[in-house]
Amino acid sequence: MKRAVPAIVLLTTLLGGCVTANVDEMTFDAPVAGMADGSIVILGRRHAPDYDTEPDFIDCIGNHISRGSESISVIPERQFVDALYPWFEPRTAPLSIESVGRLMVLPSVANKLAELGLNYMIWIDGRTQDTNSSGSMTCGVGPTGAGCFGFGTWGTESEYEATIWNFDDGAEVGKMSALTSGQSYMPAVVVPIPIIAPVQDTACDSLGTQLLQYLSAGS
Amino acid sequence: MVGRLLDSMTLGRKAQRLVTLIILIVLTACSSREVVVEGSFPTPLVDPVPVSVGILFTKEFKEHELIDDATGRGEVSWRVSTGTAQVLFWSTLFPAFFQDVVFIENYEDLQTYDVDAVLIPQVADVQYAIPLYTNVKVYEIWMRYNLALVEPEQLVDEESAAITLENLQPFAEWPLTAYGKTPTAFMQSDVDAVNLAAVMALRDAGANFITSFLRVPGVMDWVENPEEAQ
Repeated sequence: MKRAVPAIVLLTTLLGGCVTANVDEMTFDAPVAGMADGSIVILGRRHAPDYDTEPDFIDCIGNHISRGSESISVIPERQFVDALYPWFEPRTAPLSIESVGRLMVLPSVANKLAELGLNYMIWIDGRTQDTNSSGSMTCGVGPTGAGCFGFGTWGTESEYEATIWNFDDGAEVGKMSALTSGQSYMPAVVVPIPIIAPVQDTACDSLGTQLLQYLSAGS
Repeated sequence: MVGRLLDSMTLGRKAQRLVTLIILIVLTACSSREVVVEGSFPTPLVDPVPVSVGILFTKEFKEHELIDDATGRGEVSWRVSTGTAQVLFWSTLFPAFFQDVVFIENYEDLQTYDVDAVLIPQVADVQYAIPLYTNVKVYEIWMRYNLALVEPEQLVDEESAAITLENLQPFAEWPLTAYGKTPTAFMQSDVDAVNLAAVMALRDAGANFITSFLRVPGVMDWVENPEEAQ
């Protein structure tokens, strides 16, 4: 059993990295100078009937950008949505930058957005989901103990698209997307050992890095 | 059935009682779910409508709950209590949405406060769907309200010195729908997911109310001239 431990650790390390990532970028209006003491908000789309963009993915992107640039202030999603309730709920959230113009007609909304000093609003739409699974595992409990035996595997796919709105210019300035996929494994000889592909984390790193490069361009 | 199972085991009488109790607790827990909806609700960012309104939460509204008893094998009974959350949510929204708001608790309040109208929200229906029944990976809650704006005088029953809701003739009456969902991927338990879906539905109800209020027939005329439009 002791000999098996290094092999399991090695296998975990090797298989844990089985993730492929594709990132596409399409920007119409790259900033000539990076943001200086500006603020952004990253929001998840929540109006699809069968999924919501995960709040923890939005937090992950925000943390990635905050870590990468001290000059960019990222307003937490929940704080922003609550501060502007009910204008960014699934029913009322603007689907285009032109709709934000209509919101700005309301003095209370215009004042709040001015108070927040918002330069960019970034919408993330997408999700992570398991695609296929196979294998089997049997677990049992007996007088001498419990254990499992078998092997399971499943695929996971993340697909996200970020749309960047420039608040100073009142224009949509770019789109970026990240598509990542990976295969996770769970061999079990007495104890199940999950070897999870970090698919969503990879998508977060890819998209976060692209967004950070865009927002920091020229600085 | 539990008795037969226990008879087949070699256990003392006390141990049998304890095992019976544990089995019954587990079976009860497996077959019913109880949710008392809880959440924090933000104050809406709106320019207040320039009217003074009394808000009357009825007993049914304050104590509203959805009860769905299991009818088949493998189904689970649900009891979703929304009343406390309803009161908390609308008590946050109305004072921000209207310029002056008083909450009408009794007959004396009606006599004391001079309001342009009294708003009475009522929960007409609440429905839910969980992945077990729909095979869709989201927990969903639908709510339907009936709202009515009435002249304060209509609620006064002089004889019994009490509030009456009989024979009301609202000058504005309208339905309001709301929807909330929680994907299964977000939640650890059914109860948490239904709670969050209910909180989302309440927020959606508020968003719907705020964006549609001035389009309700009769309301705009009343807002422009609260004294005469009724």
